[in-house]
Amino acid sequence: MSSREALAELLWAEKYRPRTLDEMVDQKEVVERLKRFVKEKNMPHLLFAGPPGTGKTTAAHCLAHDLFGENYRQYMLELNASDERGIDVIRSKVKEFARTRVAANIPFKIVLLDEADNMTADAQQALRRLMEMYTATTRFILIANYPSKIIEPIQSRCAVFRFTPLPKDDLIGRLKWICEREKVEFDEDALEAIYEIAEGDMRRAINILQAAAALGRVTVESVYKVVGLAHPREIRQMIQLALAGNFTDARGKLRELMINYGLSGLDVIKQIHREVFSQEIKIPDEYKLIIADLAGEIQFRLVEGADDEIQLNAFLARLAYIGRKLRG
Amino acid sequence: MPRKIPWIIKYRPRKIGDVVNQDNAKKQFTQWLESWLKGKPIKKAALLYGPAGCGKTSLVEAAAHEYGLELVEMNASDFRRRQDIKRIAETAAKMRSLFARGKIILLDEVDGISGTADRGAIDAILELIKTTRYPIVMTANNPWDQKLRPLRDAALMIAFKRLTDRHVITVLKRICEYEKLECEDKALYEIAKRSEGDLRSAINDLQAIAEGYGRVTHSLVRALSSYRNREYSPFEALQKMFNAKYIFQAKMAISQANIDYDTMMIWINEHIPTYYEDPEEIARAFDALSRADVYMGRIRRSGAWDLLSYVFDMMGPGVAFARRVYRYRWKAFRSPQRLQLLAHTKRSREVREGIARALAPRLATSRSTVKSEVIPYLKIIFMNNPRYAARIALGYNLTDEMVKWLAGHKAREVLMYMEKLSRKH
Repeated sequence: MSSREALAELLWAEKYRPRTLDEMVDQKEVVERLKRFVKEKNMPHLLFAGPPGTGKTTAAHCLAHDLFGENYRQYMLELNASDERGIDVIRSKVKEFARTRVAANIPFKIVLLDEADNMTADAQQALRRLMEMYTATTRFILIANYPSKIIEPIQSRCAVFRFTPLPKDDLIGRLKWICEREKVEFDEDALEAIYEIAEGDMRRAINILQAAAALGRVTVESVYKVVGLAHPREIRQMIQLALAGNFTDARGKLRELMINYGLSGLDVIKQIHREVFSQEIKIPDEYKLIIADLAGEIQFRLVEGADDEIQLNAFLARLAYIGRKLRG
Repeated sequence: MPRKIPWIIKYRPRKIGDVVNQDNAKKQFTQWLESWLKGKPIKKAALLYGPAGCGKTSLVEAAAHEYGLELVEMNASDFRRRQDIKRIAETAAKMRSLFARGKIILLDEVDGISGTADRGAIDAILELIKTTRYPIVMTANNPWDQKLRPLRDAALMIAFKRLTDRHVITVLKRICEYEKLECEDKALYEIAKRSEGDLRSAINDLQAIAEGYGRVTHSLVRALSSYRNREYSPFEALQKMFNAKYIFQAKMAISQANIDYDTMMIWINEHIPTYYEDPEEIARAFDALSRADVYMGRIRRSGAWDLLSYVFDMMGPGVAFARRVYRYRWKAFRSPQRLQLLAHTKRSREVREGIARALAPRLATSRSTVKSEVIPYLKIIFMNNPRYAARIALGYNLTDEMVKWLAGHKAREVLMYMEKLSRKH
């Protein structure tokens, strides 16, 4: 290791990610079953389902590592449904990958497709055909937050593994273990607070811990400060300005958000949608639904390639009008 | 900012004598109006015609003021159907009992309706002329269209001459004195020359420069009017578009602007809240503009350029007719901030995407997850602990630009630590 690397630091989510199935301390049942595949040097197509941050992708990497060894990445094609541009791109990448050579001792290669539940039903049908076409030389590991969004024919071709949110003790135990290795000082209740916020999402828990540690001793206060900072309040302020009838200031906020946070129109409208239903936005429920409906329309237009600012301005202007009607 | 009165309203003539030039027209019009007041009209309607901004409407307004008559302005595009004309005639009759004073009915720019080939509107106006108990004044830039012939026959034709530069300069000078404006003679001459006898546009130009820069110099006029030459500068086009009385005017204003429609859309996007104050009007205007944008997107994707006409419909008339009541409003339209904004946000987004691209494979997750779940925490580290951030930046080979984006005002410190760490190596 060069001294430069010694000085460099990594995100703990990478640094403390298990590399082998043995290192995986959670999802014990899943891990046991996966270890059997390693022993048999064979496996069916797999579907890993469960909430974010429960170790689905990590388990896939560990499995591949244990099957193929240190250089497992050359036998694994990683795709992300939400990053690839449609099924055609996926198809050509899989086709290309299927041509490359296989390892000496394992007769197949792995295609890891993350966020498969983000694919449309049509794209999933095409995916199913792909899985059949290359089944002799490849195995697919599909990863999804919501297994119900995976079409039946795919589910029936896969061994399904359910990942569950990490239990409190496991998650806090892991955070403590990291704190010891990093020599981070912490309050017990701060780790509890992280658990409450992360809702069993290990990645989020570790990210919060690392950011809080960057501020100093990890306390309940610093944890909440980090969480507050991570989710820009500007979105809420923007909504509130608009609802107060102040279109021009709301527009100013929007511009600020887009520049300072590099948010796209889609990022903004999605966050708005989440925010509208929060307790902080004090308007009658039926108006929340009107706004949600409008947000949906705007989001669709943006997906179709409409202009971020014009569409969001139209949204804010409508909000300002609704706000004025509400105040009578 | 106090609301500014448009100078063309502030300085409109109060008396017939104040209307510049047009002595013949003034004489004819006064005689005709007095014949009405004596109960024996020469003709029931008058058609005032002449180039834009030569004083047609001003003369009618001044006369109404001088004779104490109420000016009832009717939108020619209302005269589409027979029931409209009946309704309008009835309202006019009722209003008499309320105000107990005479009135003039003004139908501005009747040549606007000829182009739409709406025969019904001409019939309706003829019907109104036949039944009216009040003087009816129509105005037109070009009354010689074949379709307007029945109106020409039914009305006393009064011609207005194009104003000379000298007349325009006289008025501009008067305004400058009144406003205590510092202005060069050469500048006024330039404005007058470019107005081609259109006093209204000359006054608007003068106000635009005066309020934008506080003084009127020849070089400012030249710089500002370099856009011009039958085409409208963006702010002129906006002025005309927002203040259009009829759909065709709003549409024309858009198509005669000297900037392309994409840029025009940006100008409109910027200035809807400049022109409108009422939230309902703002919402309706943005609704129309957002529809124009949707059509634009469809055109880009499908190549169906014949949809462009709908883009113009929505961005011009659609935005202009978001108003609840028509009122001429002069506004100072400045260059949009948006163009800079666009560059800023685009770059900002690219940097964010670059960071996601660098981190996603290392964290074994998608770029979108990195953006929503990792970058926010990374930003906190970079903005609060520069020394630690510098080590992470080295760990992921982040570029200077990425560091700056993440660290904001702490960027210099982070970069400094990175420099130090690298030197140790």
